[in-house]
Amino acid sequence: MRIIDAHTHPVFMHDGATPAAARRLVAHGRAHGIVKMVALGDVLVHGRLPSAAQCRRINDETAQLMRWHPDYFLGFCCLNPTLGARAVEREVERCVTQHGFRGIKLEISNNARDACMGAVMAAARRWNLIVLQHTWSQTNIHQRRFHSDPADTAWLARRYPDVTVIMAHLTGCGYRGVLEAKSLPNLFVDTSGAFPEAEILDFAVQELGAERILYGSDLPIRETSVTVGRVLGARLSAAQRRQILHDNAAKLFRL
Amino acid sequence: MLIDAHVALGPWPFAPLPERTAPQLVAHLKSHGINRALVSHLGAIFLPEPMPANRALFAAVCRTPALLPVPVLNPALANWREHLAACLAAAQIRAVKIIPAYHNYSLRLPALAPFVAAINAAGLRLIVATRLEDERHRYHALAVKGLPVAQVAAFLARFSATHMVCSGLYKPEIETLAVTHENFSADIAFAEWLNTLAVLTQKIPARRLLLGTNAPLFETRAQVDKLRLARLPARTLALIGSGNATRLFGL
Repeated sequence: MRIIDAHTHPVFMHDGATPAAARRLVAHGRAHGIVKMVALGDVLVHGRLPSAAQCRRINDETAQLMRWHPDYFLGFCCLNPTLGARAVEREVERCVTQHGFRGIKLEISNNARDACMGAVMAAARRWNLIVLQHTWSQTNIHQRRFHSDPADTAWLARRYPDVTVIMAHLTGCGYRGVLEAKSLPNLFVDTSGAFPEAEILDFAVQELGAERILYGSDLPIRETSVTVGRVLGARLSAAQRRQILHDNAAKLFRL
Repeated sequence: MLIDAHVALGPWPFAPLPERTAPQLVAHLKSHGINRALVSHLGAIFLPEPMPANRALFAAVCRTPALLPVPVLNPALANWREHLAACLAAAQIRAVKIIPAYHNYSLRLPALAPFVAAINAAGLRLIVATRLEDERHRYHALAVKGLPVAQVAAFLARFSATHMVCSGLYKPEIETLAVTHENFSADIAFAEWLNTLAVLTQKIPARRLLLGTNAPLFETRAQVDKLRLARLPARTLALIGSGNATRLFGL
């Protein structure tokens, strides 16, 4: 079984940024069949509104991982869109041209509907990058000013149909989130985050098709055996499991 | 051979989960290597008093020895003694469960003193369910919160001579409680981090951890794999997988 983990934080709250820690993580991943990890950076280490310098430091750590294990980590560029178009453009260009990053990771600096997202999506279009937007149902959390609900991420994907968007955290997005994504072919959902709640993945496959779902763990917050096990435990065909665990990501990330 | 300390029968109103019969649940668990399970009825959470659900549980599992019924009692109700006696008369039970948050009382409830004494006198193990689901994205109209860890700690201190099982604790909560309290064991259904069990057993002895799947709310395969694929000695895995449940519930 070959797996691509589309949602990891190998460095988390400063932990994991040494060569030995990276080696341990790669060994851990390989032991679970994970052949590649998308490294999204230590995205909340400086709070939800990192400065330009802090974004650079986060992305430099990701780049370091890619240098240590170039065959294993794919880097995504952590951004704070509220810093403005110039800062966004400069950091994306740096991450792509100097480090070969493949996507953009957006956390909770702003809501996906905010005007500042225009520069992010323009950069994604210019550099052919995938945009991974942290998303969670805001029905109970009430932070929508800066925290994207599935409806917000769906709005973003609808507004920019030529950019591929990943709506992170299937379980946190819930049944409503799956339905928000249904009509948007450029919107993918990853399985990362939350406990392995039963049936939601089965529902997502039924509504979206297996081809728009990516395996993600949210490691180290989540346990790899659990996040893989929830896919293996769902009522899916072998082909659907293979799509979710590997093939969709391989195609999307052009591997 | 695995024993699941945290399984339920019955309907869950907020998600389209499989509602299995007892034989179907046995077959489902067996397909994941689980031979025995401590089972409660989800109806006991929401009904005004839990006995109809407990009676449904006893009836459902009476011909499935692999399922050990764990009735839910509510010590905030005036007739909890009557309910306890009815449960003891209806089936051979090893434990009873309380769900304070969903039954609208705190662990400071005065009635818990005679209740815990009665549970101990009956030779039963007390299971305290601290939460049942992730509050961040559950049904919007439910306002129930998980039990605060400080309240659980005070409860453990108040009944320090009673070894109880805490169900639904997050990993940091288990670690926090383990620093000051030895009179609890915990199931691992809500404990998760990279290398969960290797990390957790640095903070709490493995003899105080139990496999719990939280089926049908959680995916059984995922929970079993948390144990099966943990990088721990086979003896430690055996303790968490079945040995501790055997000891704690007198199986």
